Amino acid sequence: MADYDDIPTLKDNIDRATVDSVLALDVDKYKYGFETDIESDMAPKGLSEDTVRFISAKKNEPEWMLEWRLEAYRRFLTMTEPSWAKVHYPQIDLQDMYYYAAPKSSPAPKSLDEVDPALIAMYDKLGVPLREREILAGVERPNVAVDAVMDSVSVVTTFREELSKVGIIFCSISEAIREYPELVQKYLASVVPVSDNYYATLNSAVFTDGSFVYIPKGVRCPMELSTYFRINEKKTGQFERTLIIAEADSYVSYLEGCTAPMRDENQLHAAVVELVALDNAEIKYSTVQNWYPGDKDGKGGIYNFVTKRGDCRGVNSKISWTQVETGSAITWKYPSCILRGDGSRGEFYSIAISNGYQQVDSGTKMIHLGKNTSSRIIAKGIAAGFSDNTYRGQVSAHAKAKNARNFTQCDSLLIGDKCGAHTVPYIESRNGTAVFEHEATTSKISDDQMFYCQQRGLNEEEAVALIVNGFVRDVLQHLPMEFMVETQKLISISLEGSVG
Amino acid sequence: MAFSVPVRLGAAENTLIEQLNSAGAAATAERISVAGLPTRRVESYHYTDLKTLLRSVPPLADQNDTLDAFLKSGATPFHVEGAHQITIANGAVAYDDNAPAGVIVGKAEGNALSTRDDVLVHLNTALAKESLTLTIENTIEQVIQIDRRIEGEAAHVLDSAKIFVADNASVTILETLSSSDAAHVGNHATYLAVGRNTVVTHIVIDLSPRAATQFSTSEYTIADGAKLRTVTIHAGAALSRSQIFARFTGEGAHGDFTGLNLVEDGQHNDITIDIRHGVANTTSQELYKQIARGRSKAVFQGKIVVERDAQKTDAKMMMQGLMLSNEAEILSKPELEIYADDVVCGHGSTCGELDEDSMFYLMSRGIPKAEAETMLVRGFIEEVLDPVENEALAEALHGVVDRWLLGKAG
Repeated sequence: MADYDDIPTLKDNIDRATVDSVLALDVDKYKYGFETDIESDMAPKGLSEDTVRFISAKKNEPEWMLEWRLEAYRRFLTMTEPSWAKVHYPQIDLQDMYYYAAPKSSPAPKSLDEVDPALIAMYDKLGVPLREREILAGVERPNVAVDAVMDSVSVVTTFREELSKVGIIFCSISEAIREYPELVQKYLASVVPVSDNYYATLNSAVFTDGSFVYIPKGVRCPMELSTYFRINEKKTGQFERTLIIAEADSYVSYLEGCTAPMRDENQLHAAVVELVALDNAEIKYSTVQNWYPGDKDGKGGIYNFVTKRGDCRGVNSKISWTQVETGSAITWKYPSCILRGDGSRGEFYSIAISNGYQQVDSGTKMIHLGKNTSSRIIAKGIAAGFSDNTYRGQVSAHAKAKNARNFTQCDSLLIGDKCGAHTVPYIESRNGTAVFEHEATTSKISDDQMFYCQQRGLNEEEAVALIVNGFVRDVLQHLPMEFMVETQKLISISLEGSVG
Repeated sequence: MAFSVPVRLGAAENTLIEQLNSAGAAATAERISVAGLPTRRVESYHYTDLKTLLRSVPPLADQNDTLDAFLKSGATPFHVEGAHQITIANGAVAYDDNAPAGVIVGKAEGNALSTRDDVLVHLNTALAKESLTLTIENTIEQVIQIDRRIEGEAAHVLDSAKIFVADNASVTILETLSSSDAAHVGNHATYLAVGRNTVVTHIVIDLSPRAATQFSTSEYTIADGAKLRTVTIHAGAALSRSQIFARFTGEGAHGDFTGLNLVEDGQHNDITIDIRHGVANTTSQELYKQIARGRSKAVFQGKIVVERDAQKTDAKMMMQGLMLSNEAEILSKPELEIYADDVVCGHGSTCGELDEDSMFYLMSRGIPKAEAETMLVRGFIEEVLDPVENEALAEALHGVVDRWLLGKAG
């Protein structure tokens, strides 16, 4: 990391905190790029039936789970990689990576004290609270329960006991497979079928860990649940699987964060997230995705190929996705809602920022199947540097989806003349009573806006950050409080160096 | 890792391969035998899966023995008062010497379109034998009509036209696609070079009966200061697809790309446009309206590309869909692909049924339901037809829409 001496002219009038936060970004402006030296237990390199068996054995999985994985693996062999997205990357060699890497520690730590201190230090450095801190000195902070997943395993899940008092199950998916097989069997792959797409099928065969949440009937989850994903090991892929079930009349808000060390290789992250909302239930899922985006020449970075889908299975259920995408070399991600229950509602709020050589192809799908279903999409794409930023979204109304309603707004902002912003909506109306509205705009920050800000004493970068924060405000306000402040900072950081 | 499954070829593909091979177009034949016709996995054919929709292809038309008979057989189904007519029947170009001053008509061997990775373009390039050539030298008041016809038994017909509009000229060109009532497959190509400071209106209207399949590709290059208006109207054919590829090559040019996609029971009609702003300071507006009734599919795929150097581009695309039945489908994909930063681009897309309040307003004033519907639909499409200046032509176009509304299209 650079220090103050490296800066030739440090002006006195600059707030020291600003300098700190900029310095913390280092050359590549990525502050989570450190690597932690933790001894790992790895699977043999490459993908094969043996790898699948190895993972299943490591997880002490029951026989049915192994069979399920092997079936997925066999399906996977017959599939080809999708090529429709507007992203370019060299062929990924699936044989040249590890599918399982777990921090070596005593088997199943019973409490946080048994967890490797290096691990806890790492999470502290990332700003993820793993210790269930007492409320200190009258400063009341809302508690957030965390499931921390490093490489292939969940290292710790906090606040489990408190949650279990109200009947909420919050644990790693591996535990859920062992302890709640009936729930897992009932819901796993019921939203994203095993052979849904190339990466989802690969995930089904080799997924290693992830979170499992079950909210019983009528329970409003008392705290935010969150998972923190971290890739640490070299040459590994992370394949996590998250399953959230909200029973009738329940509510849960779930946060997800991700980071990875800076490396000059590309690492694959292929996750599957499934949400199930039953009658009158509501799930709010927020993501701040900040995987390592690669260096300034586009070397390295995470390939983020993710399938996220929510199923509004019950009447008047609601699923809302909010995402802030700033990381990853390539993002290929479409958090979707299947609006099956009558009167159900889907929402998608997204900010996707790309800089350097990042490529983003992200958006959503709103599939209207039930009567009186409604959906809303607000997507803001910001492209800077040499990046390409694509919004790709599908809205469709089935013939039986009487009175389906959709409103979509996607706006793109271009900063610099070497980047690209693209919009690819698919609007499919199969019902006369469906009403769909879609609007999209692309523009740059106007000279008038810049002049206005600069004339009032902001420098160019501050002005851009301010305008961009205004541009994404519609989305920001849907983020949980904890994420909002963080995100505003992240936005300024991601755009660092994009002007002038 | 994963292996690719060889494509299984259907009857249509086998016929095409045979036709291509006998025409000496081995490379195109090879392409089709390897990849087959495009399926929904091919992005530009996402909603028009030719592999499923095009079941068979009739034999190539024999141009020579039929042409004379057709020319004698009757008038075009679409007549515009005072228009100068040129006919391309079953792929053969026919014209007489009475073209208005400033219009040079001729024919040339070969085809018109630029190379492009598109199966319909490849087929036209490989199989169209001759092209109509048309040069417009100055301002032409008379509407120039290119009457493209397919007559006789079911035939696979590929024809082509190359149009040059000289600098400072202005013209209205009307192309009509029609056919006898048989399972024809038409593949029509037009290349239109729009010169500097020209004013050009280009209308393509498909009036084929329901047995036919019609594909058409129009390619435009638009030079400095030109004003181009295109109108694409689908009012016939069981399966049709009109492709528009336009590129702005000169500054200060403006393009209005408009169209009506009228579909009813059993039809699948597709308008696909690709508008490229290649230089700075050009503007375009795209306005397409789709109306679907019965069990039908209306498809609109629109793409605006703003290339790296095309700063100060102003492009706006609008698609509006009107559903007149519950079995109809309106599928649209309005895309923006933008590589320049100082631009204003936008698109909008709406889809719904007739406004209940407006219906109530009209009916409460004693207008019967059917008539009220017709009035509203007419109002809906007026925006597309209104800018057509030639009165006789505008009247004829309104006639087509009215016939469609009364259920007598084609």
